[in-house]
Amino acid sequence: MYRYFLALRYLLARPINLLGVVGIMLGVWALIVVVSIFSGFLKEVARHLQSSTADMTAINLPEGVPFDEIRAIVEADPNVAACSPRIVWQGLVHPFGDQVGRAAPPAGMSELGAATPFVSVLGIDPDLERGVTRFRDWLDVLDDPTLRVADLDAPLAMRDGLPGLVLSRQRMAEDGVVAGDRAKLTVGRMRREGGREELDFRPLACTVAGAYETSYAGFDGMNVFVHIDTMRGFLDGDARSESANEVAIRLHDTAEAANTAARLQRALAEGVAGRGASWIRVRTWAEANAGRIGNVEHQRSLMKLVLFVIMVVAAFLMYATLSMMVTEKTHDIGILTAMGASPRGVMAVFTGCGVAIAVVGAGLGVAFGCLSSIYLDSLNKFLTANFGIDLFPVRIYHLRHVPYDLDPVWISQVAGSALVVGALVAAIPAWRAARYDPLDSLRNE
Amino acid sequence: MTRAILEASAVTKSYAIGSRSIPVLRGVDLSIGEGEVVALLGASGAGKSTLLHVLGLLDPPSSGRVLFEGRPVHDLPIRERASLRHRQIGFVFQFYHLIPELNALENVKLGTMMDRGLLSWMKDRRELDERARDLLRTVGLTERHTHRPSELSGGERQRVAIARALIARPKVILADEPTGNLDSETAAGVLDLLFRINREEGVAFLMVTHDERLAERCDRLIRMKDGVVVS
Ligand SMILES: Nc1ncnc2c1ncn2[C@@H]1O[C@H](COP(=O)(O)OP(=O)(O)OP(=O)(O)O)[C@@H](O)[C@H]1O
Ligand SMILES: [Mg+2]
Repeated sequence: MYRYFLALRYLLARPINLLGVVGIMLGVWALIVVVSIFSGFLKEVARHLQSSTADMTAINLPEGVPFDEIRAIVEADPNVAACSPRIVWQGLVHPFGDQVGRAAPPAGMSELGAATPFVSVLGIDPDLERGVTRFRDWLDVLDDPTLRVADLDAPLAMRDGLPGLVLSRQRMAEDGVVAGDRAKLTVGRMRREGGREELDFRPLACTVAGAYETSYAGFDGMNVFVHIDTMRGFLDGDARSESANEVAIRLHDTAEAANTAARLQRALAEGVAGRGASWIRVRTWAEANAGRIGNVEHQRSLMKLVLFVIMVVAAFLMYATLSMMVTEKTHDIGILTAMGASPRGVMAVFTGCGVAIAVVGAGLGVAFGCLSSIYLDSLNKFLTANFGIDLFPVRIYHLRHVPYDLDPVWISQVAGSALVVGALVAAIPAWRAARYDPLDSLRNE
Repeated sequence: MTRAILEASAVTKSYAIGSRSIPVLRGVDLSIGEGEVVALLGASGAGKSTLLHVLGLLDPPSSGRVLFEGRPVHDLPIRERASLRHRQIGFVFQFYHLIPELNALENVKLGTMMDRGLLSWMKDRRELDERARDLLRTVGLTERHTHRPSELSGGERQRVAIARALIARPKVILADEPTGNLDSETAAGVLDLLFRINREEGVAFLMVTHDERLAERCDRLIRMKDGVVVS
């Protein structure tokens, strides 16, 4: 009992110990707030990525294998709900009459946005695509008649004798394009002629049918849609060729995505064996976006490492104050021993001081960390409204609120490591106290 | 003589200074009976404090045996020695050695916390608090219970230290010049207190002192010279 009592009284008698408490608190606070914002951001990005991506895609489907064959293989899998063919090609989009397009993106524009004329051209079948992604919803978000696609059921139909082209809202706005304008799409393809391979660019005139918008600006900046038959006609010279180089898949259970991907990979390899099967890659939406998610995850890990330094500094503070205290208290150690304390008991008194500092610091840090994560958005709105300071600009993060995700596992890890660090750091001076010869202080001063 | 509670037989103690071994106790035999007040006299450096530390299980002897109620004690495990120190032996020092952060009452109560767990102490805390206050009254400190040691006079501090030594109801109190730091009037008061406690509670005292007149009042007198008992 004297262990707790003395630890407490020793601590309370020395306000300098607040340094350790504040240090630990700051460390825990920062680790919780920053990581929770990163996790929240990660979750939002993942959500937006997922909503702009099919659950799964199989890419690099070999030429000359009709889509119906692929479809039969894919749909035989019990976890596949629907699938849709795509021809995905690289291209250059530019307003009609401008033969070469812009040479370089104008300065100051986001590289995620409409700054570059280089795009992925997604040739899709709108009817089948609807069963796989939220393509129809992406078209249905705009009210502006100059941007809106007139017929949501046939967005990519021929118009004025030219194939329909759907651009992102941002691209249309920045290029000043409205629905009904003409635009040119330039795509290249490899052609084999007499054993020689040649890159052959071909322009394709289109009518802009309207705009789409997903919740992930990074997707919008890079993708335009045309009808898959347009691409078939363009690349194969036959709009009814049934070819596809990609298949987008919707799953019943996305949690099973990894297993399903492995299964489909095998099934496709068998199904089209000998016809270029080895190029086929089946990827879940998470794999397809691994780069973007991994980037944020990497930053989060770096932040953890950097912020842990605060903990180390706090530990040093604690060590210094406790060490001072033990030196000051060598006088008491003799009398405590005479009164019946064992060396282990003496050690417990001083370790107890450190643990108490760590417990209070970690407790306050967790409390403040959680509260600040929750109220940071309100604080940011207040700062923006009153002082024009925006801690989390929409322009950069594409999010309208400050996200957070308080992970109980992470919080317990942070609090737990604060306690362990506190106990370890206190144990060093405490051990010195326990080894101190009680007779030194009992012999006359 | 009554039954012996604390005995030393052929106790030696030497300290190593560098490679030299300095003998401080060179074969001490003595015995303290139950309820006895024994004065320990001797010139400075004779080894009185060292003997007290050995008898109080704070320092192991180099050879020889210390018996508590007939039982050799220095071979006991460290925890049992600590617990024996706590329950059976009280210490009073020349420089009081109170804990500066605790007030008078808390310093005394600390003596009740040494071998109790948190729960058992909380359960009995009223009773223990009452006992500590009683003891402070017994030693003549009727007020100033909430004063820190730094706010008390030397005599008052020594009274608090005596109350603290008594609270675990020890059988023997080892006092190392308990009045060495006090003026003669205060010293007389503290001594009267010790004798009264001896009469009322039956606690044995082994008291180191330089004061011959004081020693006369004790039941028995032991003189030391150069690490041996001479009479
Ligand atoms: N830790 C130690 N190391 C070396 N020598 C020591 C140690 N402790 C005590 N001594 C020596 O032992 C001798 C006896 O010391 P002790 O304190 O027992 O004497 P004392 O009789 O209590 O003297 P005083 O009346 O001055 O208090 C002294 O010469 C002292 O120098
Ligand atoms: Mg001495």
